[in-house]
Amino acid sequence: MIFFQFLANGISYGSLVALVAVGFSVIYRTTKIFHIVHGVIYTIASYFLYSLFVSLHLPLLLSLPLALGGGILTGYLVERFIYVPLVRREASGGIYFLSSLGVYIFLVNLIALIYGNEVKILSSGIEPTVNIGGVILTRIQIFQIFVSLLLFLLFFLFLNRTSWGKLIRAYADDPVLLETRGVNPYKVRAFVFCTGSFFASVASVLSSLDVGMDPHVGIGAFLHGAVATIIGGVEKVEGAVLGGYLLGILQSLVIWKTSARWAEAVTFGLLILFLLFKPEGLLGERRRVEE
Amino acid sequence: MNYLLHILIMINIYIPLALSLNLLVGYTGLLSMCHAAFYGIGAYTTTLLMVNLKVPFFPALFAGILFSSLLSLLIAYPSLRLRGDYFVLASLGFQIIVFSILYNWVSLTRGPYGIPGIPKPSLFGFEIDSLPFFFLFSLFFAGITFLAFRSLYSSPFGLVLKCIRDDELATIAMGKNTTFFKIWAFVIASGFAAISGALYATYVTYIDPTSFTLDESIFILTLVMVGGAGNLKGPLSGVVFLIILPEVLRFLGLPDTVAPNVRQMIYGGLIIYLMRKRPQGLLGEYRWR
Repeated sequence: MIFFQFLANGISYGSLVALVAVGFSVIYRTTKIFHIVHGVIYTIASYFLYSLFVSLHLPLLLSLPLALGGGILTGYLVERFIYVPLVRREASGGIYFLSSLGVYIFLVNLIALIYGNEVKILSSGIEPTVNIGGVILTRIQIFQIFVSLLLFLLFFLFLNRTSWGKLIRAYADDPVLLETRGVNPYKVRAFVFCTGSFFASVASVLSSLDVGMDPHVGIGAFLHGAVATIIGGVEKVEGAVLGGYLLGILQSLVIWKTSARWAEAVTFGLLILFLLFKPEGLLGERRRVEE
Repeated sequence: MNYLLHILIMINIYIPLALSLNLLVGYTGLLSMCHAAFYGIGAYTTTLLMVNLKVPFFPALFAGILFSSLLSLLIAYPSLRLRGDYFVLASLGFQIIVFSILYNWVSLTRGPYGIPGIPKPSLFGFEIDSLPFFFLFSLFFAGITFLAFRSLYSSPFGLVLKCIRDDELATIAMGKNTTFFKIWAFVIASGFAAISGALYATYVTYIDPTSFTLDESIFILTLVMVGGAGNLKGPLSGVVFLIILPEVLRFLGLPDTVAPNVRQMIYGGLIIYLMRKRPQGLLGEYRWR
């Protein structure tokens, strides 16, 4: 029975990882940027929520959308003022990654400077729990599971059924060809960064409502999201979802069987195994990653 | 005077780190994010041998270099088959695994409690316990590293690495086994990072895993990127500039509570600015494209 408890915990954590992973994956697949700023957007959305909800005493239902908006805006500004000039200069992968790293360092320390390094929590009350056949989950955990499922479903429909979804897939395949068809590629890119940042922000607020935040939560969330993306396969957004849930469940089982201390080592050990033996991920098609 | 010597010793300790990472970043084109892991492996191997087995400094240092190089083989072979972002992610993963082991294998490394009371190195029965002597001692290692990398960079080996960085396919076409060269670059870089680890451990006489985190890896990468990669003076200028910068900020009267964050923000801002305007860094040669 205890197995199902850990499985349920794993699924609720996995849905957060999957949210971050879907955001990272849509940005990475479309723009080929190893967007480490994704982690800081995760951090920033939580702190927006903290400022609005705790410092300004706004109602939660108003603070949540504003915090999400703040995360999306940050993602957009980074694209507009950091990446776009580099695209215009036709920079290559290394420069994007290093610029992204610079933005990450800058913003994380700005947050630490403003809010301090200690953990901040949003509410001190005890979360009501629900008992489903012996498995006990808090209300927010159930919320995490259902909100992310709903968002994944909507996002797949969006990607596969709408013209904007088609544009995103087209940009991922060949940005130059898309431009010759009279589409403004910067619009598509901006939209992709907003979408990706939206997913990171949702994961962020859902997590901070549960366990609070500190300025360094973002890098862990980002790395788990990136690992989930690789495990599931970069080619398809479904891969990121699958990878996210698998990683969440795996971590939960490691915590159950050994201790929380080894969860990180197992996660990154798994990443290295995948990079070695199945670099295309679970859902990807076999191709060379050397080039 | 002691304050000045302390800064100079820190510069000497970081010189092997920056020059060896430069071999990977500026010569081979590999953005390695796990240099602090090898720094830590060197520090811990040397320390554990000196503290637990009473091994003298030089054999312990040698063992640290050897162990760090050997472990680098473990990660080098698999991850060097990957390129670009996948290599970055693999090196990040390795960094986190090493930190996790240093932090959690408490029976060996004492984990978060750290290891205090590391003996000072001794040379021919003469213990190097005063700052001026330690400065000369660290200068000796920084000098050796400098000379080693100077000859390495201009050697045929260094030229092949540059060639790999600029066009790997062309290098293969010229009949060079690029994987072999990249692995050697990795092994050499890790060995030199271990020297810094041993120096740091015996200088501070206390180590714990928080000196060897991902943030430290990022800092070492910042040294190389800000100074510039691909030659000797680039990384050297990066080390001098970024080690002195916090002291300058201190003299400007920045309160200690905000100083670390402001310093990091300056690093971040510098990277963003340099990537946009001057991808070769202050004095570097290799322009990231």
